[in-house]
Amino acid sequence: MQKLLYLQTDSSSVDSDVIGMSTVENGEIKLPPEDPKDWPYTNVLEAIQDDWRVVKFPELCLLYQDPFNISLGCEFILEK
Amino acid sequence: MDKYDCKPTLDDQQVMDFCRNGYIALPSVVSEKVNQQTRDYMDAHSESSEPVEILDEDWFIDGVIKNPSAAGAVRSLLGRDFYLPNMISSHRTNGPTPPQAWHPDSGSIITHELNYLQVFYYPSGATKEMGPTELVPGTHMSPARAAMLGRIKSLKTSKLMESPPGSIVLTTYSIIHRRSNSTYKGIRDNLKYNYWRTTEPKRDWVVDKDFGFSWIQPGDRPMFGVDQAKMFAWLSGESWEHIGGQAWPCVTARVHQDDQMGLPQGFRKN
Repeated sequence: MQKLLYLQTDSSSVDSDVIGMSTVENGEIKLPPEDPKDWPYTNVLEAIQDDWRVVKFPELCLLYQDPFNISLGCEFILEK
Repeated sequence: MDKYDCKPTLDDQQVMDFCRNGYIALPSVVSEKVNQQTRDYMDAHSESSEPVEILDEDWFIDGVIKNPSAAGAVRSLLGRDFYLPNMISSHRTNGPTPPQAWHPDSGSIITHELNYLQVFYYPSGATKEMGPTELVPGTHMSPARAAMLGRIKSLKTSKLMESPPGSIVLTTYSIIHRRSNSTYKGIRDNLKYNYWRTTEPKRDWVVDKDFGFSWIQPGDRPMFGVDQAKMFAWLSGESWEHIGGQAWPCVTARVHQDDQMGLPQGFRKN
């Protein structure tokens, strides 16, 4: 069954810090560990190194709308 | 609608921080007697999601709506003679309850003009187990969010409004928030209402004439950026345009002697 990994990051770069995450596994939405220190990846590169494949890069048009406020971050979607 | 005026309580730094974060938390400002009266009232009206009749109770108006700390903060942000709430929503939960989806409330407008405030009052408090409101600081000025909001679950940048009984949280209406996950078995009350501006904005909160607005130092997220500066200048009654470059509100590594280029006229020392 397909697995999805949603990573919200500080910028559109794959080496920027992860600020939010969730996964879809076994057809269900899974939340990460409560303490972000226990999250499995600190950036997108680490997820790629763990065999996740990027299927969607951040929407750059959102950054045009909102260049200085990225409180919600940029979003990468990955799959296994 | 009734107008009200009182002494402002917030200073320049607190108003700047409100513009930066989009909220201010006032822990334990309501007396336990009034908290208990409110809990009793809500127990007796538990079927109502909009218990507006509580606004006819003098003890509630005096103890909560006109609470000196809360109303003083409202006075600081909305100016004198602000309208008192004439609508109130009960967000009572009977836990445990799952977290809500992240959302701004309907009717949100993304603007630097602060003409009303959203308020949460927790008569029984809201520990982490009770599922306090969870906010994402800085999102009140962010229009780029609807496209991905539904997919966001856990965010490092969010803040739980963990609160002792009698706490009040003031927010910009447009801030992104949710009820967080609750593991608590029992009732958690949360009353929500708005105050409204009636006067033109001006810097008549607790003003420190020696406060230094220039040379903002790098700090925690969210940053005091151009949009936040625009809100603060508007609240201060200043006509201001960002000129870019190293001009205000560009952060700098240290504080310098002169006023920063581009600082609004009323904030200048020289």
